[in-house]
Amino acid sequence: MEAVTGVCQGRRGQAPSPLMEGIGLCKHFGRVAALEDVDITIQRGEVTGLVGDNGAGKSTLIKILTGVYRPDGGELWFDGARVEFSSPKGARRLGIETVYQDLALVDDMSIARNFFLGAEPQRRIGILRLLDTHRMRRVTEEALRDIGISVRSAGDEVSVLSGGERQAIAIGRIMHFGGKLLILDEPTSALSVHETNKVLGYIDEARRRGLAVIFITHNLYHVYPVADRIVVLEHGRKVGDFRKEDTCVEDLVQIVAHGVGGVRPQSEESAPDGP
Amino acid sequence: MNRYPAADSSHAGVRRAGSLARSVLGHREVGVAVALILVFAVFFSMKRQFLGAGTLGDIVTVAAELGTVAVGVSFLMIAGEMDLSVGSNFALSGMILAMLITRAGWSPYLAFVVALACSACIGALNGAVTLTARIPSFITTLGAMMFWRGVGLFLTQGWPISVFADVPLLRWLGGGRVFSTLHISAVWWLILGGAFWMILQKTAYGNWVFATGGKKAAARALGVPVVKVKLVNFVLAGLLAGLAGCLQLGRMGSMSPVWGQDLPLEAIAAAVVGGNSLNGGVGTILGAMLGAVTMASIRIGLVMIGAPAYWYMSFVGFIVVAAVALNVKLGEVILWRR
Repeated sequence: MEAVTGVCQGRRGQAPSPLMEGIGLCKHFGRVAALEDVDITIQRGEVTGLVGDNGAGKSTLIKILTGVYRPDGGELWFDGARVEFSSPKGARRLGIETVYQDLALVDDMSIARNFFLGAEPQRRIGILRLLDTHRMRRVTEEALRDIGISVRSAGDEVSVLSGGERQAIAIGRIMHFGGKLLILDEPTSALSVHETNKVLGYIDEARRRGLAVIFITHNLYHVYPVADRIVVLEHGRKVGDFRKEDTCVEDLVQIVAHGVGGVRPQSEESAPDGP
Repeated sequence: MNRYPAADSSHAGVRRAGSLARSVLGHREVGVAVALILVFAVFFSMKRQFLGAGTLGDIVTVAAELGTVAVGVSFLMIAGEMDLSVGSNFALSGMILAMLITRAGWSPYLAFVVALACSACIGALNGAVTLTARIPSFITTLGAMMFWRGVGLFLTQGWPISVFADVPLLRWLGGGRVFSTLHISAVWWLILGGAFWMILQKTAYGNWVFATGGKKAAARALGVPVVKVKLVNFVLAGLLAGLAGCLQLGRMGSMSPVWGQDLPLEAIAAAVVGGNSLNGGVGTILGAMLGAVTMASIRIGLVMIGAPAYWYMSFVGFIVVAAVALNVKLGEVILWRR
């Protein structure tokens, strides 16, 4: 087992240095402003809910954070250093990992083969370098059990797993390989209530291990139970950025439903140290 | 956090029996194994000599050339692509080898290397066109099939070409016999099949092949070079088709530019009978090899019982549908039991 990197820092009181920061991020597609002057701060050991309707700019923002798009304006900071990504590879190298709904796992392959895909352990036999299949299974089962995910056998095909179990394995894989920022795209939108609760449990576990989590959803109620802070986007602008304890779900619903509408100014001072 | 607390205690025994059945039935080769047993049973009941060493040697020998092509095609199919040009490639490679030996007077060994290189290049071209033009490999290789067939016909003006001299290389490739009717080409095929089985099941590259054909986006997101994997597999499919042509030249001493026209579909049939999916991501090398043996058994069996060889295609067609239907059924039963 690799040690999981990142230490759970004090989440209250003095402001810890953020894991990742985006300052004044802009992105235009032709004349359409997909994202305009958006600031976002991601803390270690925190779950940030990124909420907004379709077309609010959630996926544009995420694609900037993960190196898929280059921002037209603004800065990205990671771990105290200015970063620029030329490709998603650069972001992954820093430990920024995304779980896309339905795209994370290969259905016709076993759990263990999926878990180690692209990072297969090998052993040398003479000139041959063969897969260490025993180790793949053992480590997969151990790592998943460690996180609280139980699978019957790591040799089972992914196609027999439920949606929640698939999410769990994708999340477990990122935790095991030392991811620092876990980005989940609508992780619970296709799940039953029971499954959703389980996935929220894994997110909680990731937070306890010191990972930063971004939870993207158009449904505030999905993220509210697990979030530490909630960022609301609308028409490419940030219209809200709250710590959960400073607000209640009804207020947030108002903001998401009625938009900027003059409810609150876009607060530059939405720093993690609160009021 | 155990999801099956009750199951683990009270149903442990049932579960163990179930998992044994599953581990047997869960193999994708079950369908083809049943088909093969069925074919053997039918022919054995009609002709006792069918299970003799001579017949078995014949079957494996005939299976070797088709099987070599089928191994390459399966490997490519698992990565999610198709090659219909293997038959033309097969004929062209045998002809290049024969012509370089007889007409150009080249060293047979050098000629062999050149023939294989040509086949690999045809595979590489298939891959390069498919992957850069982003068109289905079915289309690319359909075109390649016609193009290279035409080139082959032009090279010998439509005539078959034979090597009458005793060339040690050809004896080593397929002319020599190792046991009874079993030609040495069958031994090369079995070694090759073992190697490809190993690559697919036991190496990181094999894992990438499955992932590339299974879900390209997921594989790419995890850093698997999916385009490179596909290109390599196109090259290997071409290379093995060419090798099969050389094996056949070795065994028969001649090659005709019209041979191997049914080979692409026969190879795909062997692959799908053996549990490979047309959509990629699923399949085994052993299955494809057993598929090739099944088809060779039908060919030899029909000759033995004195039936017209025309029935070969009909028989194969029946087996293809039956074996795939059986595989699908087994898959459902296994999933349902979970």
